[in-house]
Amino acid sequence: MRILIVEDDADTSRYIARSLMELGHQVASSSDGRDALFQATEGTFDAMVIDRMLPGLDGLALVKALRAADNTTPVLMLTALDGIADRVEGLDSGADDYLVKPFAFSELAARVHALGRRPATTSEQAHLCVGDIVLDPYRRAVTRGGHKVALQPREFAVLAELMRHAGRIVTRTMLLERVWDFHFDPRTNIVETHVSRLRSKLNAGFDRDPIETVRGAGYLMRDAP
Amino acid sequence: MTLARSATFRLVALVGLGFALATLAIGIIAFEATHEALELQLDHRIAIETQALLDEGSDGPEGIAAAIRRREAASTSASLGYRLVGPTGQTVAGALDAAVPHTPGYVELLPYSAHGEQRIAQSLTTALPGGYRLLVAADRGAIDAMDQGLLGLFLGAFGALLILGIAAAWAVGAVTHRRLARIDQTARAIIGGDFSRRVVLSGKGDEFDRVGETINLMLDRIGKLMENLRQVSSDVAHDLRTPLTRLLNRLDDAMHERCATRQHTAIAAAAHEAAELLEVFSALLRIAEVEGLAAQARFQRIDLSHAVSDVAEAFRPAIEAGGRQLFADIEPDVALHGDRRLLQQMLTNLLDNAVQHTPKGTVVRIRLRQSGDVIRLAVVDDGPGAGENQGQGLFDRFVRVDRSRSSPGHGLGLAMVSAIAAAHAADARISPPPGFGVHFAFTGSAERAAL
Repeated sequence: MRILIVEDDADTSRYIARSLMELGHQVASSSDGRDALFQATEGTFDAMVIDRMLPGLDGLALVKALRAADNTTPVLMLTALDGIADRVEGLDSGADDYLVKPFAFSELAARVHALGRRPATTSEQAHLCVGDIVLDPYRRAVTRGGHKVALQPREFAVLAELMRHAGRIVTRTMLLERVWDFHFDPRTNIVETHVSRLRSKLNAGFDRDPIETVRGAGYLMRDAP
Repeated sequence: MTLARSATFRLVALVGLGFALATLAIGIIAFEATHEALELQLDHRIAIETQALLDEGSDGPEGIAAAIRRREAASTSASLGYRLVGPTGQTVAGALDAAVPHTPGYVELLPYSAHGEQRIAQSLTTALPGGYRLLVAADRGAIDAMDQGLLGLFLGAFGALLILGIAAAWAVGAVTHRRLARIDQTARAIIGGDFSRRVVLSGKGDEFDRVGETINLMLDRIGKLMENLRQVSSDVAHDLRTPLTRLLNRLDDAMHERCATRQHTAIAAAAHEAAELLEVFSALLRIAEVEGLAAQARFQRIDLSHAVSDVAEAFRPAIEAGGRQLFADIEPDVALHGDRRLLQQMLTNLLDNAVQHTPKGTVVRIRLRQSGDVIRLAVVDDGPGAGENQGQGLFDRFVRVDRSRSSPGHGLGLAMVSAIAAAHAADARISPPPGFGVHFAFTGSAERAAL
């Protein structure tokens, strides 16, 4: 993926760039809002990581400017502002995802990957298939190897999220945000217990567990075993 | 503050002076009008008398002289004097001791003498055929007396009002000064550092008392905020010092460790401490944000039943996996004016506590009920509770039950719960043992949601 990093703190910028390059991405970086606007308009990127507080043109204004210019490159906004209002503002400006500093790099990587391959138009009616599992979002039905699997609504939502990002890591916080709309971190392992229930229902009568736990990062469903 | 610089004194004094001057002006006008009226009346009387004499003496001067003599003998009109003089100026009749003017007409101030005393009269001189002149005069004593009376009256009133005005100004100024001085003294005492001082009220319930009360309420509120801030700073200082020291110690260990594996463990532990610290900061900032009441700007009508059951269902697997039971008794379609995410965080904190601090077999109950305008929400468990410390004090920041010191957490969960409840104008109570429960009563928010 070609990724543009817009971050004025040189240390953070280098850290993100180096880590993303280690994962095999091409990275360009900018430390100034106006320069970033120019680079984003000139080049083609698969995703952008933009810090909210920037000299020249702040992150919110930058994203707004990009969207006004019909640039639909997915944006992950980084911020040290953790307020509820800040989050709403960030997403309202046109950013696709929002990550609060400090963050673990695995979280950033998972979110960037999730952005990168997000289809331009998500057709909710389309069936999701991963291996022998088929999920029908429209009828809210799941089958494995042709057998029907009965799931609770949240278990279904967790599975859909994992299948939609098949081959990529989905973190605990991503699931909390997207399945439960919880933008805070409960101390109770509600994600783990839901995944555990989902697994036991999905794996009844099968040997292979399609949901892989990536320690310290999240969960992963692989297309091919 | 000297009296002359007192705004009240100056104002009342000005009003007093205004009244006095108005009285003086009215006095002058009344005096002039009365004076003129009396002079006219006197002129009129003289004219009638002159006409009467002319009528009686229509046969000539002799007749008039006889009429004058008749009047003087009867002394019917003591205030009027007559004199009839002939062509050569000789007196024909009349005892009036005054020079008869040569030109006919009115003379307002005619000097004459009576009983050896110089007096002033108002007169009318009429020319008669044959060079005779008739002088009829009336003494101005009555007018002068009236003039003096009026003048005295109005000057007296002016003086009295002036004195009264200044006295009133002084009195009002003194009272205002005295009452304001109490507020002033309180303010000065507070500036001086004694924040416990409050405005002394007279108990009369007047405007000064009302202002005093408002100031006292304001001081109470500021006091609470200051206490809160002081508490937070000291808490932060105290509660962050411990983890920061631990962090420093672990980094120190890592620095001096030669074995790579143990060094890595020490660094991981340090990173964990740092993450904990960031979490505390983040929690404190969130509490401050909610307490700042800025969250209320985003309040909207939400389906509370839905929000509560979402959280309950999110926790159900975790609660059941821990060998506990969850019973959710949620009345459907309860609407509230509020922030869904904050309320969900509030419930999450309570359920987190239930999961962290109760043994296996504990029953956790969530109940949501609406009766009229009051929405009641409760999260209750039948666990061991918080022991002796179980009370409203648990809502304070960094307060933790001794038993739970060893388990993870920062003592900020219930502080956040309390802040979120306060932002929703909800009454939050921790129920007494057995078990542990937090009960909320939302009042205003239900009404607003109904609109």
